[in-house]
Formats: sequence, structure tokens, C-alpha cells
Amino acid sequence: MTGRAGRRLIALALCAGFLAGCSSPLKRAKLYFTRAQELDRSYGSETAVAAMKRALIEAETAVRKDPSAQAYMIKGLAEVRLERWQEAAESFRRSFALGFAPGEQWAADAALLGAALAFEASGMEETAGRVYAHLMGRSKFAPVRQAAAGRHVDLALAGALVLEGKDKDKALAALVKDVGRLLGDDFSSGFAHYLLSQVLGHRSELGSSYEEAVMARELGLPSEKILRDNDNQIVFCRDRIREGLPPAERARFDAAHETWTKRWGWRDARTPPWKKE
Amino acid sequence: MSRNDIEQALVRGVEALAAFLPSAPFLLFPVLSSVCVWAVRRVFNYRDHILTWRVWLDPESVRTKPDDFILHFFRNDRVLAEVYADEVASGDINGLRAAFPALYPILGLEDAFLQALFRPELEAGDVRRIVAEFKPRAAAAVEEMGPAASDPAFWSFLEAFGMELASLGLHLLKDGTVEALILAAIEARYPDQDGSA
Repeated sequence: MTGRAGRRLIALALCAGFLAGCSSPLKRAKLYFTRAQELDRSYGSETAVAAMKRALIEAETAVRKDPSAQAYMIKGLAEVRLERWQEAAESFRRSFALGFAPGEQWAADAALLGAALAFEASGMEETAGRVYAHLMGRSKFAPVRQAAAGRHVDLALAGALVLEGKDKDKALAALVKDVGRLLGDDFSSGFAHYLLSQVLGHRSELGSSYEEAVMARELGLPSEKILRDNDNQIVFCRDRIREGLPPAERARFDAAHETWTKRWGWRDARTPPWKKE
Repeated sequence: MSRNDIEQALVRGVEALAAFLPSAPFLLFPVLSSVCVWAVRRVFNYRDHILTWRVWLDPESVRTKPDDFILHFFRNDRVLAEVYADEVASGDINGLRAAFPALYPILGLEDAFLQALFRPELEAGDVRRIVAEFKPRAAAAVEEMGPAASDPAFWSFLEAFGMELASLGLHLLKDGTVEALILAAIEARYPDQDGSA
């Protein structure tokens, strides 16, 4: 075990012990939320999601027992991270109604995200998209920035799908620029590489999409489900790329692909370990 | 290990779990399957593992896929390639795109909870029925799990139950046998219903 891994384990063990001793649901919610953020930063995706869900359960208990602005804010933030958009919007609304002071920039960003979610839910997708794009480019609060990026890309791709020709190319090119800016802020974000891979897939730039998906897998992804989706993108791109290659180049590509899949513990070139036999 | 002991434990487990999910017998199989998965692997922090995604229905992140990705998905799954052969052959991308949101989480991402929820249809290869019923059944599952999941006693029960199953040697049985035992216990509790739906 490396020194870094050892320190991380000790920190988690201490954190777990501390969590066990916490008395109120709100305190436990805050601690689980902090733990999940810490795990997010170190790409402990499955454990981070689990910690965030525990934060949410504790926050839900807290708002039932003693509704407060702070409890609703923690609940909303956990819901954002878990992509439970409608619930998050409602939690933020209640938090501000109960008097959460929007003095902090992160709180204002979270509120704006909540508003955008409400816009989207009520069919005002264009307005929501503008707010997501703003937050994706400007927010300094990582959970909000990431959530806004995911929603922005998804909405923009859905919009581009109904376009044709140059209009579609233009929309997708703009989206590549948006995600590129996100990567400019944090090139080590596996999630941003995953988003870029998805957008490039829509542009039929399968070589680049493959490379971005490989990068995303190497850097880590925020949930098991996104990791699986990314693996499927790798397999899709791999199959399509091979089809267009002459035999010699195909052999070289296969060798390079095998290097990655062995490193990730895949059963063969098309089968990640999570696939049922 | 005694298979009889495991059968009796599962019967008790179904009874206890039914108290947490009184109006949702269709959730018994997915939840018990999840517990057994981790009991077999002798992993006991069930809450973390189950909360991670074995029980909950996480939304996808990027749901909008290009036509070519969707065609690739339908062509490369044995059952889908057969059931949707006409749509694939004629390039009916609108028909495939309409079915994709229901089938991709189950067959593409292999969500264990959804696979258990739609087990009868998957076994019968009736994927068109999954598409038709996906939204209401998935929404009902999320709604029904809510109250139980926020009850600490629910998690304590699952943890104790999983440890009991592991101590009885559940890991020595095949997955298919475990599934059959769970279904038998559920069907004994709810004789008028298909245990998994």
C-alpha cells in the first residue's frame, strides 16, 4: 500500500468513527456530504455516491425532525450530486424560504441551479440551458459546475439531434468549445473528458471520442453508471474504428486497445468486467 | 451448509421485509437479490453497496445518444437483434430511439435492480413489454422504496439478514439456485402473485 493510499484509509477510518459518534441527523448529513466531496476529489466514485446517498438520508431525517434552512440546503446539494433534479429544486426553494442567507457565492450558484432545474421541469428548456451554460463556465463551486455541465450537454445534444446539416454542425461545435473550456479549468476531470467523448460521438469523430473516453476511464468517473456508459462508448468507438482500418493498421489498433483493456481488467476487447458472462 | 436452513431463513426474510414494504411486494425480489449478491461475496457494509446503485434508480448522465450508437446497441445484443430485427433492417431509428431509454439501462448498463424488477420479461425475451411498462413500474419502485429506505431499521434488518445468509453458506449455492429459492419464498408469502413482479 502506498503512503498516500494509507493516509487516505486512515482518514476515512477516522471519519467513519467520527460519523458513528455524531448525534443529530443534520450533523451526520453534513459529515457524510463532506466525506462524499472528499471521495469525489480522489475519484472514489462508488464510495462517494454511497456517502452522498447517506448524506441525503440523514438530511431527509433532519428536515422531517427539525426543518431548517441549512438542512434543506444540504439535502438539495446531495440531490444535485445524485442528479435528483426536481427534488433539489424544491429543497433549494424551501431552504431560501426558511431564511438561508444567500451571501455566499456557492449558495447563490446552488440557488441558480435550482431555478434552472425548475425552468427545465416546466418546459422552459432554452432558459434552463442558458443558466446551465452560465454556471458551467462561471461557478467556482465544483458540484454545481459539474451538475450544470451534465445538464447543459444533455440538453444541447437533445437540441442538436433535431437539427440538420450546418446547423447541427454549428451547435455541436459550440458544445465542444463549452466542454473544452471546462477541461481548461480542470484537465484532470474524468467527467469532463466523458462529456467531450459523448459530444464527439455525435460529431462522428470516433477516434477522438475513443481517446477522450479512454482518458475519462483513466482519470475516474463520478458513478458506476457513468463508468459503464463510458465503457460502452469505448466498445462502440472501437468497433466502428476497426471497421474502417486496413489489416495492418487494425492489428496496431488492436494491440493498443488490448494494452488498455488489460490494464482495466476486461475479459476481452469488448467485455468490461461488470458485464454478465 | 444446509439448503433447508437457507430456505427457512429466506422465508423469515421475506416476512420481515414485507413489513417494511407492505404495499410493494414487487420490490421483494430486487431487494433480496441485492442482499444475496453481497452476502455471497461476504461483503457486509450493505448499506454502502446497496445505496451505491443496487437498489436505487440513478438517472443517466448523458441520455442523448447518436443514431449510430443506438443501432450498434440493438445489433450487438442477441435478444434485441432478434426482437427488433425489422426496425434494425429498415433503419427505423425513430422506433429504436423510442425503445432505447427503457432498454439501455437494463441491457446496456446492466442495472441489477432494474434487471431484477423486469426479470420475468427478460427471461421470456419479452423486451417490448419492458418498453411499454418501464416508466410506471420504475416510478412505482422509486416511490415505494422511499419510506423504507429512510428507516434505519430497514438497513439494520438487511445487514443482519445478509450476515445470517452468509453464515449459512449461501455462497456455496449457484446464483440461479439462490434466485429460485428467493422466488419460492416470495411465492409462498404471496401465493396469488408472480413473486418477482
